[in-house]
Amino acid sequence: MEKVQVCFYPESRCIEVDKGENLLRAAMKADVHINASCGGEGYCGKCRVIVEKGEVKQKLQVKLTEEEARQGYVLACTCTVESDVEVRVPIETQLGDRSALTRRPPIPLKGYTLSAKEWAERLPQWELNPPTTKFHLLLDKPTLEDNLSDAERIKRELSKLAGLKEVVIDYPMLQALPGLIRASSFDVTVTVLDRGQELRAVRIEKGDTSVRQAAIAVDLGTTTVSTQLVDLQTGQVIAEASDYNGQISYGEDVISRIIYSTRATGLAKLQSAAVSTIWNLIQQMVEQTNMEFCSITHLVISGNTTMAHLLLGIDPRYIRVDPYIPVAQYFPWIKASNVGIRIASGVYMRCTPAVASYVGGDIVSGVLASGMFNSERMTLYIDIGTNGEMVLGNKDWLLSCSCSAGPAFEGAGVRHGMRATRGAIEQVRINEVTLEPMIITVGNRRPVGICGSGLIDVLAELFLTGIMDERGKINVDLPTPRVRKTDSGGEYVLAWAEESGTNRDVVITDVDIDNLMRAKAAIYAGINILLQEMAIDIDAVEEILIAGAFGRYLEIDKAIIIGLLPDVDTNKLKFVGNGSLLGSYLMVLSKNLIAEADRIANMMTYLELSTNPRFMDQYVSALFFPHTNIESFPTVARRLAEARETAKAGGPAPGGEGA
Amino acid sequence: MAFELPKETTDSKIREVTLGTGGVKVGGENVLPFYTFEGIMPNRPLIAVEVYDDNPVEAWSPVVVEPIKDVIADPVAWARRAAEEWGADLIALRLKSTDPKGDDKPAEEAAQTAKAVADAVSIPVIVYGAEDMDKDGDVLKAVAIAAEGKNVIIGPAMEDDYKTIGAAALGYKQSLVAKTPIDVNLAKQLNILLSNLGVDVGTIIMDPTTGALGYGLEYTYSVMERLKLAALRQDDSMTQMPLVADVGTESWKAKEAKAPASDEPQWGDENKRGVVWEILTATTLLVAGADIVMMRHPEAIKTVRKVIDTLMS
Repeated sequence: MEKVQVCFYPESRCIEVDKGENLLRAAMKADVHINASCGGEGYCGKCRVIVEKGEVKQKLQVKLTEEEARQGYVLACTCTVESDVEVRVPIETQLGDRSALTRRPPIPLKGYTLSAKEWAERLPQWELNPPTTKFHLLLDKPTLEDNLSDAERIKRELSKLAGLKEVVIDYPMLQALPGLIRASSFDVTVTVLDRGQELRAVRIEKGDTSVRQAAIAVDLGTTTVSTQLVDLQTGQVIAEASDYNGQISYGEDVISRIIYSTRATGLAKLQSAAVSTIWNLIQQMVEQTNMEFCSITHLVISGNTTMAHLLLGIDPRYIRVDPYIPVAQYFPWIKASNVGIRIASGVYMRCTPAVASYVGGDIVSGVLASGMFNSERMTLYIDIGTNGEMVLGNKDWLLSCSCSAGPAFEGAGVRHGMRATRGAIEQVRINEVTLEPMIITVGNRRPVGICGSGLIDVLAELFLTGIMDERGKINVDLPTPRVRKTDSGGEYVLAWAEESGTNRDVVITDVDIDNLMRAKAAIYAGINILLQEMAIDIDAVEEILIAGAFGRYLEIDKAIIIGLLPDVDTNKLKFVGNGSLLGSYLMVLSKNLIAEADRIANMMTYLELSTNPRFMDQYVSALFFPHTNIESFPTVARRLAEARETAKAGGPAPGGEGA
Repeated sequence: MAFELPKETTDSKIREVTLGTGGVKVGGENVLPFYTFEGIMPNRPLIAVEVYDDNPVEAWSPVVVEPIKDVIADPVAWARRAAEEWGADLIALRLKSTDPKGDDKPAEEAAQTAKAVADAVSIPVIVYGAEDMDKDGDVLKAVAIAAEGKNVIIGPAMEDDYKTIGAAALGYKQSLVAKTPIDVNLAKQLNILLSNLGVDVGTIIMDPTTGALGYGLEYTYSVMERLKLAALRQDDSMTQMPLVADVGTESWKAKEAKAPASDEPQWGDENKRGVVWEILTATTLLVAGADIVMMRHPEAIKTVRKVIDTLMS
């Protein structure tokens, strides 16, 4: 991608971006404040800037007069950068933002995402060798001399062609066998599944279908389900889709789902809700591509222990009660149709093995994908989902724990929370002096809600600007209409009704912040307990891998400011994205890794936090921004001091009700 | 060579807080409670004698009412009696009359009572509101204004009203008590919030919430002990405030303290029972680390004073 340079004046701040980058995003990256409240749809007309030099491409702008256009005014959000440009941000657009000069550039997690090359190094076991293989067989026609049965004939050919011994033929395939092989003149394709302990021929098709083969990788989350359609020939993801788990209407967390499952038809309802969610996503993905349903040969599904039980229709009730026992840790390959996922005949699925009741296959899958089980280095893997799970260790040992964080960072339990889909606010800056926001949404649409990365941004910005105090309470006495008091506490308006995509104000409330604070506190407390248990200082951890579905722009320094992540050298932090989905994807393609997953599930030790007397203390200690012990967050303390200085220099300090 | 007791010493110490204007100080110790063989306790723990402004004659056990029945309706006379006859170190005036669930007296009226009490005695005065989140702010602000220059200790500032009470203390140069529900972290958090508000941490006293004997005393003990350990062993500056224990009110809430002998004959002499309950609660919390104990019954006060004398000698 060609790079171009964008310089913003009067700050004289320059940044290199890809040619074609949106100008407002470039400003966000350069940490130059431009008022923007419609998410980048060109609707609010607030982000006026003057292009003094260079070329930008702009969409039709009805918000500018001809006179303004002649002067070089553009709306930053509707422009893409086409060459090196110099942009002047007029005073009314930055609202006297003197603070911009002192602010540090943000550290986007995007740049810290593991690359394909890194995976190759981390996962030497990986090879393109999926658990199902299609064999195109040209069978010898039977004669009086060569009078083997149809089934034995297929086995003989598989042995001759691929050296496969002892293949078991699936019963439904036997039924199809006599008619099908004769109708296709003994020219057939047989799909063989390697189940680890046995080879099983699971499907027979006419002619040669071996060139088209696909599989499905699934992350079955409590709140969100994400899927990928993978081409087994190339190893590429050819389609992706995600949605909220249909089980949400029966309860937000695993505990309420388990309780629901004990009702009369509860388990069946939950199973069917999960199945329909997965099935709809598969349909969406197939529709997006030219892949056919019958090309799909298997699925790998990684979910927490409860999700796996519910999907398989296994009674999960004992997971919830002391001593917290799941029915199974390892799940066999089964026909997908057995649970109601009817893609084609002979499609098998496997749930990734779990470690314990509250550390499931999603974590095993993530640990697999992260390669930490191969690493010499002391590694901390953190999965931020409805449950926060952490794994500490390396190739020699792995210790895991789980804490209930709630679905807040996935957008549930937050008034205007949403997934990272169109119109979701994903990046936010708030000016320390004017307290006006700058927001960018997914797809540059008018804002309809806030996704995970946006929520982390909002909290960090509200905190740095002093709009929100350490307890997460919004100071409603500040001189801006953006903050106001309601019956349920304070709130801050990110976008006014007329700028939003819903015709309602998009706000973040005290109650939202409280839920987010609980989530971050649980996760941080879990991390601390894990480290304490092994008597390891956070500074001794060489690499911290973050997994979770936040959207694209999670900024790690923001996550540290709110105390979600420990205050460590940011170079140690890497983002693996949705680890559970990534692991599923890798396992779909490589049976070696399926075997590794079993090994990981077996080697991981589980630490039960519900009986840990220190957890509550750690949790309450973390129910504060960034933390009760500010000494553990030295860089945050510095940034706070700077932000307070800036606010003081730029205008009246946003103090409380001074005397 | 003679045996020498090993000493655990520290450079950390509890902040010394000046109360009132007569040179009374609390805190300042660099050792765990009464470990005077390891360091110093420059100020002995203080007894603050409770005075109520709502004539609690009906509500209280006759055992407590008896020694004060002639002054119970007059907070000024009551405070004088405590200061002159019982040797109170402080007065803990509780403006219960302002309680919206009770008499709901206006803030100004209560503030005048507070001023009258502060004027009548030479010892420092703690002024507690009715512990009502909505009303305390107004009441204590009025008190802070009325008693300007007296350095009274207003409180308790809690999570939901710390801003108004903190601002009142800050604006009119009074000290304050920060109260949190039996948790080390919450206590520390409130201190951070108050200091962010601009309140001088050297004017804050912590009330970690008191559970009386039989009613959670062990929790309070543990929290006080942990606060002291954090302050002295970990040099945690946000826990280095002196502690106050609300002994009188909590002890006399206990059924075992106030039940008449006619109801519970097997519990023993009702004239001693409540007093002993208060003494045990107070001495336990002194050993846990209380720098101030707020007390009620003159006999209990007398005994606890003796305990402090002995431990300090």
